[in-house]
Amino acid sequence: MNCNEAGTLLAAYADGELDRLRAHAIEAHLRGCAGCEARHREVLALRARLRAEVPYFPATGALRARVDATLGAMRAATPRRARPVNDRWRWLGGGALAGCAATVFAWTLATAVIAWHADQDLAVEAVAMHVRATHDNRQVQVASSDQHTVKPWLSARLDYSPPVQDLASEGFALIGGRLDTLAKEPVATLVYRYRLHTIDVYVRPETAHAPTSERRTIRGFHVVQSNGSGMDWVAVSDVSADVLTAFVHRLAQQAPSQ
Amino acid sequence: MYEQKRFAELVLPHLDAGYNLARWLARNPHDAEDVVQDACLRALKYIGSLYDGDGKAWFLTIVRHAFYDWCGRNRPAEIVRDDGTAIEMAVDSAAIDPEQAALRNADSRLLADAVGALPLVFREVLILREIEELSYKEIARIVDIPIGTVMSRLARARGLLQHSPHLHAIRG
Repeated sequence: MNCNEAGTLLAAYADGELDRLRAHAIEAHLRGCAGCEARHREVLALRARLRAEVPYFPATGALRARVDATLGAMRAATPRRARPVNDRWRWLGGGALAGCAATVFAWTLATAVIAWHADQDLAVEAVAMHVRATHDNRQVQVASSDQHTVKPWLSARLDYSPPVQDLASEGFALIGGRLDTLAKEPVATLVYRYRLHTIDVYVRPETAHAPTSERRTIRGFHVVQSNGSGMDWVAVSDVSADVLTAFVHRLAQQAPSQ
Repeated sequence: MYEQKRFAELVLPHLDAGYNLARWLARNPHDAEDVVQDACLRALKYIGSLYDGDGKAWFLTIVRHAFYDWCGRNRPAEIVRDDGTAIEMAVDSAAIDPEQAALRNADSRLLADAVGALPLVFREVLILREIEELSYKEIARIVDIPIGTVMSRLARARGLLQHSPHLHAIRG
């Protein structure tokens, strides 16, 4: 590869958009070419500064209130059901033959690949829980950045003691913990903050059938699973998949035995 | 009811991303709020067309459309005075040393100003790539341009920042 070819691919390489073969070729070229290496470092330096210095504007309280008001107005316009279960029946009943056929088809498919589906279910459930917690603003039941506060709080409420560590020095600040139910079992949830992203980590005692490493994207959220320190770890966040994978492996592999 | 449930599950978690994009496009908080509010109404209306479950890219596409529609009505020439109040809000409260903090804020402000001064077409791809960390493919879908155009606009945006008169020391 010459500098001309490298030049056109440098940005895509820095953005993680190149396939392995071309990434390899670029890396080889960068090792031997100081000029291109400097240009590559410029892109990375600019990114680091952008991410550190350019403000991120989360939705304001006023905006959330406006959106909630809009939703509330629409809800008021819809006749309210006495119980949520009625709603589902009504939707099913009214939802034409196609809806039923699709449900039956989905069910058949689900039965056929039941093992795979169990994992998928777990990931879907984990994402749903993450979304619910974020939306209901009940991210933590015990708010503390101190692992020696969060761990005993969780241990006192579960029949196991999840390893808890604060990785604020690596950018992942522990903000607390809560209890959830995953696959019908109570589970410890550790809540971390990475820049403006919230990361939920579900920790439960190791099960035999859990995959050792699994990565999936559901509704734009990444779900990464790992094993280690006698636990299954399931992390959910909207942070980039690579960051999340590195983080969950770091937690699973290096959790101190306490 | 069903639409609202789907909206709450698929769209609301990305309200921050939507507002951040609108905020960087409109460059002031009030207009950004109007844009996102409009986008939410559209999202509710069309939630049935969200098949693949990628709520973030889908919602950002709508936010972007809502912004361009709003912009066409209110600032056809995209004449915006950026008074820098935006940057004021981002003051780093964690900084301990006031002198250091002042220096850092001055720097941050320069870089944020430089981003704000980028032409719209370059600003949007830069924010989506570097701040929202989206892939070329997702950006291509949101902005509705080919991936090659994403790459060339991104390169142009980075070049403009590196040679921006707002700051001289961006080279690492």
